[in-house]
Amino acid sequence: MSNGRELTETPAVPVPAARAKTLSGWGRRESIQGLIWVAPAFVYLAFFIAYPFLMSIYLSLSSARVGSIDTHFVGLLNYRRLFEDPVFWQTVRNSFVFTFGSEAIRLVIGLPLAFALNRSFKGKRLVQGIILIPFVIPIALSSLAWKWMFDSLYSVINWMLMRAHLIEYPWQWLGEPGLAMWSVIVMNVWRGFPFSAVILLAGLTAVPQEVIEAAKIDGAGPLRRFHYVVVPIVRPILLVGLLYSVVFSFTDFSAVWLLTQGGPYNTTHVFGTYAYNIGINAGDLGMGAAITLFIFPVLAVIVILMLRFLQRD
Amino acid sequence: MDARKLWRRIKRDYGPYLPLSPYLFIVLFPFYWMVITTFKRDRDLYNLETAPFWFKEAPTLDHVRLLLQGTLFPIWMGNSLMIGALVVVITLVLALPAAYALARMRFPGAQPLSTAMFLSYLIPSTLLFIPLSQVVRGLGFIDSVWALVIVYPSFTLPFCTWLLMGFVRTVPKEIEESAQIDGCTRFQAFRMIIIPVIIPGIITAGIFAFTLTYQEFIYALTFISGSANKTISYGVTSDLVRGDVFYWGSLMAGALIGAIPVAVVYAFSLDHFIHGLTAGALK
Repeated sequence: MSNGRELTETPAVPVPAARAKTLSGWGRRESIQGLIWVAPAFVYLAFFIAYPFLMSIYLSLSSARVGSIDTHFVGLLNYRRLFEDPVFWQTVRNSFVFTFGSEAIRLVIGLPLAFALNRSFKGKRLVQGIILIPFVIPIALSSLAWKWMFDSLYSVINWMLMRAHLIEYPWQWLGEPGLAMWSVIVMNVWRGFPFSAVILLAGLTAVPQEVIEAAKIDGAGPLRRFHYVVVPIVRPILLVGLLYSVVFSFTDFSAVWLLTQGGPYNTTHVFGTYAYNIGINAGDLGMGAAITLFIFPVLAVIVILMLRFLQRD
Repeated sequence: MDARKLWRRIKRDYGPYLPLSPYLFIVLFPFYWMVITTFKRDRDLYNLETAPFWFKEAPTLDHVRLLLQGTLFPIWMGNSLMIGALVVVITLVLALPAAYALARMRFPGAQPLSTAMFLSYLIPSTLLFIPLSQVVRGLGFIDSVWALVIVYPSFTLPFCTWLLMGFVRTVPKEIEESAQIDGCTRFQAFRMIIIPVIIPGIITAGIFAFTLTYQEFIYALTFISGSANKTISYGVTSDLVRGDVFYWGSLMAGALIGAIPVAVVYAFSLDHFIHGLTAGALK
């Protein structure tokens, strides 16, 4: 945030003539030197991001299959097949439910947490450290705990809910269409709300205490202070943080794969898992690539929004 | 009167903790459940008659033993740590000069290249795993840990470069200029002035490269098939499930022990971590 950027933005001291000369000496070579300095990184990225990206466009227009050498151009055939595939449309719907369901719940439970953390108390560092654990531990590992808690026979959640007489029979958290998606969302929220809270907290701490005090003196209650003072200052930070979070959820693979692999009856398939099933498991690279490419337009919209907010700051 | 006083006292002493307690419970319960499951005997584990929250029979190390002796767990751990270390090195070697040049030098294309760096951070692995499986095959690395070593920087590099650019910008230009007047070349100034000053940034970037690598799942799942080449995330989730049988005790043991390296790195670098998280997201 304010990473000392102010240091570099102090008005420049007039440069003495001799100094200016040597500076321009460094500067003249800069145009070539700069490119040499960035070259290794961008050559790498060209080969491992740009090239595969273009390749996936080509694959999606071809009949490529794992282990087959007979690959030819088929035009939009893969896309046409997708449009006629009901599971694909279900995947599209699921992806949106998963993403926006997760994000909404993360915000709703992340905001009170950010407020609770936005004051000083003993052991704050420890609490913050603990809260972030789900975000740090590899999801493949922590998902195992959830899979076990959602087990069809020995679910501890069922045990608690039944003893509390909230449910009458054991629920099939991962086995019942409809319910399974919400189970996956619950885990995704658990994993991601620490991130939302940290971003929200960073936003809240960006509000100068004096401004809040001034509003208090002017007689604004907590709600009005939040609405008229905090929100306008925090909004750009929040939007960017939220968009990041949306990107992570929308492109997620692990949460769904590890809990349900897209089942039951494809009710939890998202773009990533369906593409994996078709492209890798069934070996239809062309169709798999076509599925993943549908992520791109959504991503593009999000990125454009993001760049706009970044520039406005 | 007294009740009010007492209430005020509670509010003063415990006020900040009350709203936090449900969060702590939600965060920690799955981990508590992992620990309990790891050390419960099977008969105890599958007994639904009484409250499952504590041991009713003596704890056992059987599940841990099965994990360590009956699976390749130690090898997966070694793979994950080795891949993590190599990816950190590769990432920093590529990211540092790029971050410095993008933050400090003026050259044609600097602006679009910065944007490209930002965009490549947003290209998710979900979009790339299918073509990358072909790239890796073409390079002859299929089913090898080297496939992961060479591919993982594709998501650590953009993030770390972006992060390091922020740190480079905090170094006052004047220091560099005086070095220049003393006759330093650009590279000398970079090595002797910039690098020492941004050590905290380098540590933060290294931590992120390591944790992101250690968490990665889809590339490992796609590129690796042999048990001996698996990473922690993939090995534990695949090799302890045989058909329909889940070895829950050993699965939880694997998840717990497997999480230790990131937990340790994280515990020692919490402040760097939080700073990087907000900086990376908000810069």
